[in-house]
Amino acid sequence: MPTIAVDAAGGDHAPEAVVRGVAQASLETGIQCLLVGEEDRIQAILDRATYNPELISIVHTREKIGMDEDPRLAFRAKRDPSILVAAQLVADGKADALVSAGNTGACVLACARTFHVIPGIRRTALASVYPRQVRHPGQDPLAIVLDVGATIRCEPIELVQFALMGSAYARRISKIAAPRVGLLNMGREETKGGEVLVEAHRRLRSIEGLNFVGNIEGNDLATGEADVIVCEGLVGNAILKMVEGLADVFRNVTEAGARGSLRWRLGLALLGAPLRRLRQLTDYTRYGGAPILGFDRVFIKCHGRSGESAIRNAVKVAAKAVRDEVPREIAQAVAEMA
Amino acid sequence: MGPRFAGLRAGSGRHRPPLLVYRWDLDKTYLRTEFDTVRQLLRVPFEGPEDKVDVPGVVELIRALKPCAEAGGRTARIYFLSASPPQIGKVIRAKLALDAVPLDGIVFKNQLHYLVRGKFNKLREQVGFKLAELFRSRHALPADAEEVLFGDDGESDAITYSVYADTLARRIDLGELRAVLSRVRVDSRVAEEVLTLASTVTPADAVRKIFVNLDRRTPPVSFHRLGERVVPTFNYLQTAAVLHTDGYIDLAAVVRVARSLVEGAGYTAERLANSLADLGRRGHLGAAGERTIRAQLAQAGLLPPSFRDRRGERWRLRAREGLRLLRGRFRRLRAEVTRPEPVDYQVVLDDFEDARRLRRAE
Repeated sequence: MPTIAVDAAGGDHAPEAVVRGVAQASLETGIQCLLVGEEDRIQAILDRATYNPELISIVHTREKIGMDEDPRLAFRAKRDPSILVAAQLVADGKADALVSAGNTGACVLACARTFHVIPGIRRTALASVYPRQVRHPGQDPLAIVLDVGATIRCEPIELVQFALMGSAYARRISKIAAPRVGLLNMGREETKGGEVLVEAHRRLRSIEGLNFVGNIEGNDLATGEADVIVCEGLVGNAILKMVEGLADVFRNVTEAGARGSLRWRLGLALLGAPLRRLRQLTDYTRYGGAPILGFDRVFIKCHGRSGESAIRNAVKVAAKAVRDEVPREIAQAVAEMA
Repeated sequence: MGPRFAGLRAGSGRHRPPLLVYRWDLDKTYLRTEFDTVRQLLRVPFEGPEDKVDVPGVVELIRALKPCAEAGGRTARIYFLSASPPQIGKVIRAKLALDAVPLDGIVFKNQLHYLVRGKFNKLREQVGFKLAELFRSRHALPADAEEVLFGDDGESDAITYSVYADTLARRIDLGELRAVLSRVRVDSRVAEEVLTLASTVTPADAVRKIFVNLDRRTPPVSFHRLGERVVPTFNYLQTAAVLHTDGYIDLAAVVRVARSLVEGAGYTAERLANSLADLGRRGHLGAAGERTIRAQLAQAGLLPPSFRDRRGERWRLRAREGLRLLRGRFRRLRAEVTRPEPVDYQVVLDDFEDARRLRRAE
């Protein structure tokens, strides 16, 4: 079983949610977890939880990087922040993968300082999963979009590499033999979107073995048109935040409606199960996180607001990515393209 | 006698060292009995001794208790106390014999008595039964006999044993004992029997430790109110480690328990090391004790030597040990000035009921 280093101090609800998530994972799986953070605080939370101590060890560090801190300044000012210690454990081979719900910039920086970029990869990409319409039974209800924030603007070759990395990840994790890869654009025609996207489209179409379905538009994101959506970080991040915002609006509107009107309450009660399903589907605090792809090690980044079930799922996803050798699959895909 | 046998030196200097009594619960403490469903419960009477599965490490631990006591010049007795019906006694005795576990006595609960009286709700009641048997057995022991008790978190062993220990030491009076018995709805006849036995037993602060096997993974904090005497453990390596630091067993026995976990239950070096570290963090194992056991396990090839060399660990362990010693001194000082806080069993029972309700809801 793989060993996962978990940044106990990262996230809006850390360390409580992180430690409880790891405690849950220790009961449901045989995955070893190294919790990195303040030993006393972590143990105090474990004492109140149901856990298996045989699968949890604690690596003590007092320092952490806050969600609002500037990562570069924080790394200069702090010697042993939890995310860096956790990443170092993975780099040293004491753990096989890293999970964190902390400051995204700090996570990327910690990985960049300690891991190696896979040979041939120009830039790493932050991926994210999002809910989409399931078109046939057994289809993964989550699609992957990348990049969602590790870059701002990209070269065509970088978008091509994102496609290869996302495709490799979906092959291994979602078990899709030939993931459908789409390039996010403002139209389906291959001449749309400006120089970079036109060139990226041309290159993607020419890669054998990649199931490229062409350009897809914003309205195709949720319909399950593609399993992997490729875009620049600026665009990907905007999409991600908009979906989150819509989920919040949906929740607020239904709650407000239910408070003010008996008819709403009755209607919501009748639609209880489908609404709960929709709410679960759009609740990002439940998802197990998504990877930063392109490094030689596995790193799963959870949403900052992640609750204990999201952390538990992230630990499982990380273990799965290690077992399925995702970095090797990516390295192979990039090497083949080269 | 070496410092390792601190617990066994309790009687040194006297003419006759006090008798050492180890009392064990059976189900979920010694045996991995599954009777959470009716189906599992019905299967129990049809199981043979070879079908009974012991909790990993427990056999090696019990086997070590008597020889280690004898090495320290003391006599030890091992008793089992089970709320299972006496009808399965033959199978249990055969199982204990199969495991070569020494046995000085075993008591079962006479369920037939309740069935005949139609008191089906009392079939699962254990507090009254166990208290009565503990006091009855105590009457037959020398007044200075010391006891170490082993139970699990499946029922109410920790509370039962603590009430027994505190009543025996006269830290709680008969009125409070009556209130506890009434609160847990002990059958009135059994309650009267418990009160009579408790009132006539020779007072003694005899219970040294109460070990609770966390079979259900109950959060350790649930036992904090019962004081430091109660030690919740997740596996028998943890139990063995505490018994060793208290001087009841030697290091070789701890290694044997660890080896049985590795060979019989597939424990890895990480799982062994994590178990010891967890015990240390929870304050039941000092840094020195943890180091000694780790070194011994490493020597036995059960832990790689690198486990002792983790970054900054030595300093952290020293700091933790320093804090632990300071806390200990403070507690002793406070105990000298003021009497230690008695356990408030009504609050403990409130917590217990809350936890049970929560478990059911989950």
